Amino acid sequence: MQTSTVFLTLLALCAVSFFVARHRSRLVGMAGGGLTTLNSLPKHYGYMAALWAGLPALALFVAWLVLESTVLQRLVVVTLPAEIQAMPPSEQGLYYNQLVAYALGNVDASQVSEAQVQGARYYSELATASKQLKMLLVSAVAVLGGLLAVLRIRPDFRARNHVETIFTSILFICSFIAVLTTLGIVLSVLFEAIRFFQVIDISDFLFGLQWSPQMAIRADQVGASGSFGFVPLLAGTLLISFVAMVIAVPVGLMSAIYLSEYASRRFRAVTKPVLEILAGVPTVVYGFFAALTVAPFLRNLGESIGLSVASESALAAGLVMGIMIIPFVMSLSDDIISAVPDTMREASLGMGATMSETIRKVLLPAALPGIVGGILLAVSRAIGETMIVVMAAGLSAKLTINPLEAVTTITVQIVTLLVGDQEFDSPKTLAAFALGLVLFFVTLMLNIVALYVVRKYREQYE
Amino acid sequence: MPKLFSQGVFYVKKQLLGAFALAVGLSSVANVQAQGRDNVSIVGSSTVYPFATVVAERFGRSTSFKAPKIESTGSGGGLKLFCKGVGANTPDITNASRRIKKSEYDDCQNNGVTDILEVLVGYDGIAVANSRQAPQMALSLKDIYLALAKDVPGPDGKLIPNPYKTWQEINPGLPAIDIEVLGPPPTSGTRDAFAELALGGGALQIPALKALRGLGSDQAEEIKSAIAALGLPVGVYKAYAESKGKAPSGKDIFKTVAYSVREDGAYIEAGENDNLIVQKLEANPKALGIFGYSFLDENGDKVQGSLIDGVEPDFDTIADGDYPVSRPLYFYVKIAHVGRIPGIQEYAAEFASNRAMGEDGYLPEKGLIPLSDEELAQIQADVASLKRLEM
Amino acid sequence: MNKDTFKNTKRIEASLKKRYARERRFRLYGQLAVLTGFVFLFILLFDIVSKGSPAFTQQYLKITVHFDADSLGLGASPSEEDIRQANFSGVIKASLRDMFPEVTGRSDKRQLYRLVSIGAEYDLRDRVLDDSSLLGERKDIWLLAHSEAAAYLKGQVSRDIPEAERKLKDIQMDWLDTLRDDGRTRGSFNTQFFQYGDSREPELAGIRAALQGSFFTLLVTFLLAFPIGVFAAVYLEEFAPRNRITDLIEININNLAAVPSIVFGLLGLAVFINFFELPRSAPLVGGIVLSLMTLPTIIITSRAAIQSVSPSIRQAALGVGASKLQTVFHHVLPVAMPGILTGSIIGMAQALGESAPLLMIGMVAFIMDVPGSVTDPSTVLPVQIYLWADSPERGFTEKTSAAIMVLMGFLILMNALAIYLRKRFEVK
Repeated sequence: MQTSTVFLTLLALCAVSFFVARHRSRLVGMAGGGLTTLNSLPKHYGYMAALWAGLPALALFVAWLVLESTVLQRLVVVTLPAEIQAMPPSEQGLYYNQLVAYALGNVDASQVSEAQVQGARYYSELATASKQLKMLLVSAVAVLGGLLAVLRIRPDFRARNHVETIFTSILFICSFIAVLTTLGIVLSVLFEAIRFFQVIDISDFLFGLQWSPQMAIRADQVGASGSFGFVPLLAGTLLISFVAMVIAVPVGLMSAIYLSEYASRRFRAVTKPVLEILAGVPTVVYGFFAALTVAPFLRNLGESIGLSVASESALAAGLVMGIMIIPFVMSLSDDIISAVPDTMREASLGMGATMSETIRKVLLPAALPGIVGGILLAVSRAIGETMIVVMAAGLSAKLTINPLEAVTTITVQIVTLLVGDQEFDSPKTLAAFALGLVLFFVTLMLNIVALYVVRKYREQYE
Repeated sequence: MPKLFSQGVFYVKKQLLGAFALAVGLSSVANVQAQGRDNVSIVGSSTVYPFATVVAERFGRSTSFKAPKIESTGSGGGLKLFCKGVGANTPDITNASRRIKKSEYDDCQNNGVTDILEVLVGYDGIAVANSRQAPQMALSLKDIYLALAKDVPGPDGKLIPNPYKTWQEINPGLPAIDIEVLGPPPTSGTRDAFAELALGGGALQIPALKALRGLGSDQAEEIKSAIAALGLPVGVYKAYAESKGKAPSGKDIFKTVAYSVREDGAYIEAGENDNLIVQKLEANPKALGIFGYSFLDENGDKVQGSLIDGVEPDFDTIADGDYPVSRPLYFYVKIAHVGRIPGIQEYAAEFASNRAMGEDGYLPEKGLIPLSDEELAQIQADVASLKRLEM
Repeated sequence: MNKDTFKNTKRIEASLKKRYARERRFRLYGQLAVLTGFVFLFILLFDIVSKGSPAFTQQYLKITVHFDADSLGLGASPSEEDIRQANFSGVIKASLRDMFPEVTGRSDKRQLYRLVSIGAEYDLRDRVLDDSSLLGERKDIWLLAHSEAAAYLKGQVSRDIPEAERKLKDIQMDWLDTLRDDGRTRGSFNTQFFQYGDSREPELAGIRAALQGSFFTLLVTFLLAFPIGVFAAVYLEEFAPRNRITDLIEININNLAAVPSIVFGLLGLAVFINFFELPRSAPLVGGIVLSLMTLPTIIITSRAAIQSVSPSIRQAALGVGASKLQTVFHHVLPVAMPGILTGSIIGMAQALGESAPLLMIGMVAFIMDVPGSVTDPSTVLPVQIYLWADSPERGFTEKTSAAIMVLMGFLILMNALAIYLRKRFEVK
């Protein structure tokens, strides 16, 4: 509970600063001839003091948490016997690791040396001291900050602006994390991808027709040469996505039309959440379902009518992925169809058109750009879907458009290349990052186009 | 004023409540300590993984140590992580389904992992199996080589890219189905062992290749003429000499030729996960799969092992050495970590104990082919004395 | 003229029939589509429930165990450590042989021993540790059955399958039948499933470690994603000036929402594991990665919730002199809170079901011990499902489905909460 104690103390100090500063600002204001002489309301002074008390102390607190273990290690190691200090850092780290494990009570005394026992005692002392010091320093900084703020209270001090600036900065930083994340993604895949392209020619990668990342990862291993042609992966990914769309688009779109134009309110209120359960099912569950239920079923079905269906057919993975995407297509189409102004609907019906004619001749053409945008979003989701294909799609990169055969996808290859072998120098593992980069860009482009289309369409009717 | 005050308190209270919840959350998160690791960390071969997990489970249940954490990363990947260096953030033990290579050993030495204990755990046959729904196959090593090698001798004795599409083209006694073999990737020890034992063994039955293998590195002219006879570019010799910095022996060239697996889709890299291969075979009766005997034993109701050179893979034939494709299983321990991370030596001792590895132990029950009594005694002594591996 | 009208009416009447038929057909398509969705959902749920529900019963065999100090290798007054090391598996084997004295062959004996789970020896050990007076006694004890034996007792394996194609042999089935006829078998609710971590034996495997791992991971995710997400939404809705940076942020958020989850895993691997050297397999890293993944969801839904707060509330607050900040934190946010919570819960549910990015950061491992903090090695429920789905032992299929049922239970609970909040919010 140490950390939370410090944290709660810090909060308490913030609260105290708030009340003290508010009280003092009132006194200052009264002394100056009434509260109206203050630039800001008393509570703004209070907030200011609370922030001054809290922020630096919080920063210190976090820094302490991060640096504590490193500093402790330095301090403890210095007191250890000379031969320990002479150890290479890695061994010293191990020695110290054991010492800490002993100090935390996870190792028996029988397994550690006398020097370690002493070191552990010292460590425990230091750790306790560090905790106390942390508490003390954090409180001191908080009190100091609060005090400083309280002392700065003058009738003409623009506390409100001050507080709002600080708050707005915090809010801004929070929203900027999104940009940092994107940057992080791009950089982390880009660097490794660039190293990949130093070994493998970029045009071989983009236009190569063979994907067979067998490559020796040790100097003396006789492996295969490895070929990194991306086209079969893309084809496989698109094939599975296409199958998924063939299932999801008609079912999703027709469901949306039925629910928004025909169904009674109550039917809709029950049906929609139930169908949306399909969107909430974890993908690993779909993967399990595809691999153990759908794929064998399709294979047996194929056999009974004399077709040879691969056990990891694109059809099985795509079918299940399609099921997953149905609610996605449904919700998006529903939103877009509902957004078509009622005047158009009524005009058409008033002319004597039947409901289906209204839908086909008026609503759908009007909603088409939006629906296309929604479908693009769904495609981007299908392309990036991982678990279903990892569990149910194949591993061999075949260039085919027959959905009964096994194909592999970009995401499957990323997982197979990375899970298991974590060394960062062979083209084989680097290829995963190149694939990640491509995946990121493809989905990004689809997304940008889709959002653009949807927005453009929305503007039309708003 | 009092009303305002109470309102202020109300707001603060509400915020405090939230903050308290946050603090409680933080406190459970706060124990951010990379130090003080007290569980053994194991990586490595997927073939040893099922045995290692069984030992780890027993070890965790029967001792006061924490149960080890085991990641299945493949022999090569495991050794890479293992050889990264010494320290609490590196694995303590790596499993391997083949012996550590000289290059890996050197890599370890360069990174400060100087003292390594090698523990031979037992043997595992490599089975070539198919679904029980299909008839059992009877293959020879030569059939396997001709089916899976990248280049095979053509009618004129020169090497040509593997032309065979069905098993029947190789050997008229085999069924006329497409060659479709699921097997592990090069990171896997199973693959290394398979290449050496099955492909290499098959290639030896081709006289020209056998002759090539017999040539020493001092017989440069003979090797060059053998290369020419095989239709390989003579540059192969020079390229090899340049990249390795020494004159190749006939065996080196032989390895390059015989151990390369075809990449035209007949051999499908099915990842490190042997279980997956079994499941895929079950679903596709036409395909063959390559995996460890323990998986065959565990899944004897779903898949059957093919006869190789007339021998069926089973407990006895592998232990006797009659079955031609069997290999030893190992794990490697960082001696520098012993005594530093609790439980390493005890885990190794449990693995090597009679009740685990002995004839009636729980590992043979899971499909491991046990060592002979002398070998086992030797291993137990090595573990007890933490014998350093020299290469 | 009249004639023409008549003709037209005729024509219209004829076409009307066709049009109405088309209308009915179209309507039918819609109904079919909705029905298809329902059918898929039903098949999925039925498949999982029917596969998973047997896993919630555990089978036991009543065996007369003789706690013979000699065969346990224990002296007169054994210490706790002695008992820990004692040969309980030998005792179980001897007890089984006593019950079936007719079994003699080596392989038959092995088959016999396979009826009982290896967990039974630890169970016996714990009993003796609790009560050392058991030593030397002969007692009927319910021992956990091996998963293959349990499958037979539950009626999942039938004798009709040829013996070569099943793990359980005829002779084992005979023994089990004998035990059953003697009333020495029993099924009861599987509490172990919720108490223990992973195991290599299906009958011993539990989801506790994975659940705890999921809990820690989600905790980190929530603590990071919720405040940051809400603050970011507030900034973008209420404070952000219209400039390039704001546009950049908005574009980024929208795009991050569509970035495949596995790419976040690549980010975690490259940044947190390789660059910051945070421990592998730790919920801390998993939580950070998932929080980055759910952030866009939370921001987007929070923005929508803030947007839907009636402007009159804002204007009223501003009108009586509240500052912008006061308006937002005292008036807008409380009203928007149900909506924000709805979005956050949906985001959390997403994170709970996510597994792909976690594969990249080493959370796929054999973990028996229940993790106690965010840096302990652990796995999460969906990854455990993935691991079990790949296991060869047949007993794991039902465990996998059972774990899925638990996971789905949590997800449905979370979504129900979200729907409830949304409903309450809509009434307002």
